[in-house]
Amino acid sequence: MRSLRWRLLAAVSVAVLLLWLLTAWFSYTKAQHEAEELMDGSLAQTGRLLLAITQHNDDDLGKLASRLATVRGAADNVYEPPLEFQLGLGDGTILARSIGAPDLPVLGVPGYSDILRKDGSWRVLNVVSGDGRHRVQVSQSIGLRDRAALEVAGQTILPLAIITPVLLLLIYVSVVKALDPLNRLARDVAARSADNLAALSREDVPNEVGPLVAAINRLFLRVARALDYERRFTADAAHELRTPLAAIKVQTQVARLSRDRAQTARALGQIECGVDRATRLVEQLLRLARLDPLNVLPDPQPLDLLSLTEGTLANVLAANPALTQTVRHELPPGAPRVCGDADLLGIALRNLIDNALRYTPAGSSIVIRVEDEEGGRVCLCVRDDGPGVPDELIARLGERFVRGRDTLAEGSGLGLAIVSRIMQLHGGRFSARNLATGGFAACLCGLVRAEPV
Amino acid sequence: MRILLVEDDALLGDGIRAGLELDAYAVDWVRNGEQALHALDSHSYEACILDLGLPGKDGIAVLKEARSAGDRTPVLVLTARDTREDKIGGLDAGADDYLTKPFDLGELQARLRALIRRTSGTARPVLEHRGVVLDPSTKRVTADGCEVTLSAREYALLQDLLSHPGHIRSRAQLEESLYAWGDETGSNTVEVYIHHLRKKLGADFIRTVRGFGYQLGVEG
Repeated sequence: MRSLRWRLLAAVSVAVLLLWLLTAWFSYTKAQHEAEELMDGSLAQTGRLLLAITQHNDDDLGKLASRLATVRGAADNVYEPPLEFQLGLGDGTILARSIGAPDLPVLGVPGYSDILRKDGSWRVLNVVSGDGRHRVQVSQSIGLRDRAALEVAGQTILPLAIITPVLLLLIYVSVVKALDPLNRLARDVAARSADNLAALSREDVPNEVGPLVAAINRLFLRVARALDYERRFTADAAHELRTPLAAIKVQTQVARLSRDRAQTARALGQIECGVDRATRLVEQLLRLARLDPLNVLPDPQPLDLLSLTEGTLANVLAANPALTQTVRHELPPGAPRVCGDADLLGIALRNLIDNALRYTPAGSSIVIRVEDEEGGRVCLCVRDDGPGVPDELIARLGERFVRGRDTLAEGSGLGLAIVSRIMQLHGGRFSARNLATGGFAACLCGLVRAEPV
Repeated sequence: MRILLVEDDALLGDGIRAGLELDAYAVDWVRNGEQALHALDSHSYEACILDLGLPGKDGIAVLKEARSAGDRTPVLVLTARDTREDKIGGLDAGADDYLTKPFDLGELQARLRALIRRTSGTARPVLEHRGVVLDPSTKRVTADGCEVTLSAREYALLQDLLSHPGHIRSRAQLEESLYAWGDETGSNTVEVYIHHLRKKLGADFIRTVRGFGYQLGVEG
């Protein structure tokens, strides 16, 4: 059953009904029992009364008897089932009897007894005088007694029966009203959309739902941030592409307007540069876009840092034949193996080396090393002895489209964002710092060692 | 005509400079806001092309600072941002015109001409004096209907004089208008170009005012 309201109602109603039934049954039987005792009591009183009369009038009983015999109760009152009696002597002689008295020997066992016969059942009380000389028998029809007892029990539980439907109605109304804040909350949430992710109001929210509302508000915040990030990224990306495209366009028009071949050739060369730059930017954007939806590494494998570094270095040297800086690594042959994605880590390392090449002056020295980290993890670091990054910008290096220094160099501003994302997928992080001894270190940290094969 | 170009992107700046030089402007190219303010302070320009997306001090800040310092150089703003807020922001900060990237070089040149025309107070796009007509959009010069051939510097010099009718232009002012940083100037070259212009347009077309400079000869 999925409705909170119906679950509550069902639970409470069933409990109430069960208790009601229990109480009713209990009251009923109790009332019945008490009624019987009441009637037994009156039987006893009447019996003794009659005995007293008999004892004092036994020789004169004739007239009294005939009068007594006409004693009847009110026929229509259910609480006055007629008392039949027989008055007799110790030897069994019957001196007087009421009209409806059952045909029983007056010498029955003293005390109460139930005589069950086909033509009627009777509650009988036999009373003996102290000296044994006189006997009185009073009896009531059990059927009529039962009727009286039933009436008592019925009247006792009548209020309960009336109250119970009212109670159930009240319960229903209360439950519905109590759950009303949830309906309001549902309407509030339904009113939210991608454009409206305002936090839900905490007013009028019951304590029990408070944590839920707080969690939803936190979710809204995360979603809003993600949407915002995406909007900004798309806007930034488009924006970043405009300048390279404007450059290409202007150079093209200059090429058209040029008056001499040298000018034209130069402009065409610039166009090619511009296209290359735009291409690189688009590649970086695509890479970043592909990494964005991933939550974990698609296929982590153990990989050898030494061969990764050597391979990446070889690519760098091949792509930059006219290097003015020296690039080398200091990884020992026993360099650790780590868990990760070789392609992605290669891209990350490549980005770091490219940055170092771009932002250090000619003649600088760039070194790749492995450093140990706490917790048994390792960092793969690219150190250079260049000018470094101003401290206030270091914290923002991993952001998209933020460049570390003067934007004279042709970076896209995305390289480190990609590195950050790759390290995030590896469960690590990108970390950068200016070195006290002068220079800069950009590190891929938090790499997990692979178990030795 | 000397133009200040403020653009941090190497390729784009190079392209704009080349394009403007083809249009006979002398172009000073700086790559950040601080240098731009410094340049505006130390030289007078016919116009300034300002990219808003500069590193460090951005274009809007440069514009506001220059305007509050009293600089009245006409400014055409270049930007990659094309939202309504950006346009309004740029114009309200003191820009005279606005172009979004990527743009057409021809459009940039035309808007520049319009800016310069506006500030020199001439309503007509074509500059004229005593039968000599100079059309900035075609760069053709005619004297009484006949085409006159001028070198780039001669053209620039003529344009400068025609743009300041009635004013005396000193040699320093003319040099500043003709040459960007890094251009080689000989100390005599202004006189040489004046001489060439007189030969082509008439000796009394340009009047020498001793001790002050040159000006257009009186209408007559």
